[in-house]
Amino acid sequence: MTIDTDEFLARSGIDMRLLQQWIEREWLRPDRRDAALILSELDAARARLIRDLKGDFGVNDEGVEIVLHLVDQIHGLRRVLVELRRDMQTTRRSTIRRTRVRKVGQIAAKRRRP
Amino acid sequence: MAGARVKNPYDILGVAPAASAAEIQSAYRKLAKKLHPDLNPGDKGAEEKFKEVAGAYDLLSDPEKRKRYDAGEIDESGAERPQHQYYRDFADSDFGHYASDGGFADFAQGDDPFADLFRRSAEARANRRGRDLHYRLEISFVESITGGSERITLPTGGTLDVSIPAGIVDGQTLRLKGKGTPGSGKGGPGDALIEIDVRPDPRFKRDGDDITIDLPISLSEAVLGGKIRVPTPTGDVTMTVPAGANSGTTLRLKGKGAPRRGGARGDEFVKLRIVLEKPIDPDLRAFVSNWEAGKAFNPREDIAR
Repeated sequence: MTIDTDEFLARSGIDMRLLQQWIEREWLRPDRRDAALILSELDAARARLIRDLKGDFGVNDEGVEIVLHLVDQIHGLRRVLVELRRDMQTTRRSTIRRTRVRKVGQIAAKRRRP
Repeated sequence: MAGARVKNPYDILGVAPAASAAEIQSAYRKLAKKLHPDLNPGDKGAEEKFKEVAGAYDLLSDPEKRKRYDAGEIDESGAERPQHQYYRDFADSDFGHYASDGGFADFAQGDDPFADLFRRSAEARANRRGRDLHYRLEISFVESITGGSERITLPTGGTLDVSIPAGIVDGQTLRLKGKGTPGSGKGGPGDALIEIDVRPDPRFKRDGDDITIDLPISLSEAVLGGKIRVPTPTGDVTMTVPAGANSGTTLRLKGKGAPRRGGARGDEFVKLRIVLEKPIDPDLRAFVSNWEAGKAFNPREDIAR
C-alpha cells in the first residue's frame, strides 16, 4: 500500500536526510513514477529494520549491507518455497482425484460382469 | 496480586539489578540479534519474545525510567513497545521487490522439476507488473454531473491528469491504465485507481439519475404563477410556476439530471416551498384579517377525525 512521505517518516522513525542517504546507498529502492518517489508500507518496514540494525544492534554500514543482502536472499528463497508448497498441493490433489476416478471405473466394470 | 504479572526486566535481559548501562546494552544486543523478527522471518514466536526483550531494554536503557522503576514508581507494563509491523510481514508478499534469487540461482540451472520451478519464479520476478496506486479525489457535486478534468498532485510530487466522466457517483473508482508504478521486464506498469468523493451541494440532492432541489417561492408567485429562475448543475434555467402552486408541488425539468448510459439524461425535480416575507407586510395582514373565505378553508380536513 502506498503511503505519503509523512507517514513513511512516522512509521520508519527516520528523517528525510537518512531516507535520501539510504536510497543513494540502494538500501531502499522505492518505486518511482516519473521523478516522484512512491513509498510503500514495505519500504517503511525495511527502513525500520535498518534503523534497528544501526541503532539498537550497533551494526555498521558494511554490516547493514551484508545483512540486507542475506535477508533479501532468505525472502527470495521463502517465496520459492511457498510456490513449491502450492505446486505440490495442487499436484497431490489432482493425483488423488485421478485415483478415485479409476477406482470407481473399476467397480463399475466389475458390476457389469454377469 | 495478579497471577499474570509481567516479568522483571532485569530477569528478561538476564542482568543483575546493579548492572551498568553498558552491560544492559550488551545483554540486549545479544538477545535482540537472535530474536529480531526480521532476522527470523519464519519464527512466529520470535515477535513475542522480541517485544518482551525490547520493552525491558526501553525501560532500563533510559536512566530516568530505570530510576523510577527501581524506586517502584512505574511497573514493567509501562515499558511495552507499541505494536509495529515488521519487514517480514511484507517481504514475502508479491509486492516485495527486494527479495532476490541469489540464494537459489544455481538450482535453476538443471533440468529437474525443481530447476523448472526456480526458473519460473525468477522469471516471474524479472517480469513483475508494476503496482497499482490508489488515490482519492474530491470533486464538487456540479462537476460530478457535468464531468470535467482535474489534476491531482501526488503526495511525493508529480501530477496526474484525471478526466471525470459526466454523471459519476460518489465512491466510484476510475482506473487510469498504466499510470501506476513501472513494472520490470515484460511486466508492464500498474494502474492508478482514483476513488471519487463527491462533495455534497447545499442545493441539490441526487437520486439515481435524477436530481431534486427545494426551491423557495413567494406567496404571489404561488398564487399568481409566473416565470422563475431555477439553478441546475448546468446553469440556471427559466421555469413556469403554475398559478395556484402549493408548498410540496413538484415540477419536472426534463433532461436536467445526470447523464444516463446511452445518451439520455435524468430529470431535475423542483419541489416548491412557499416562503412568506418577514415581517409580514401590513397590507397582507389587513387583507387576511378580513378574508372570510380564507378563514373558512381547513387544509387539515383530511387528517382531522
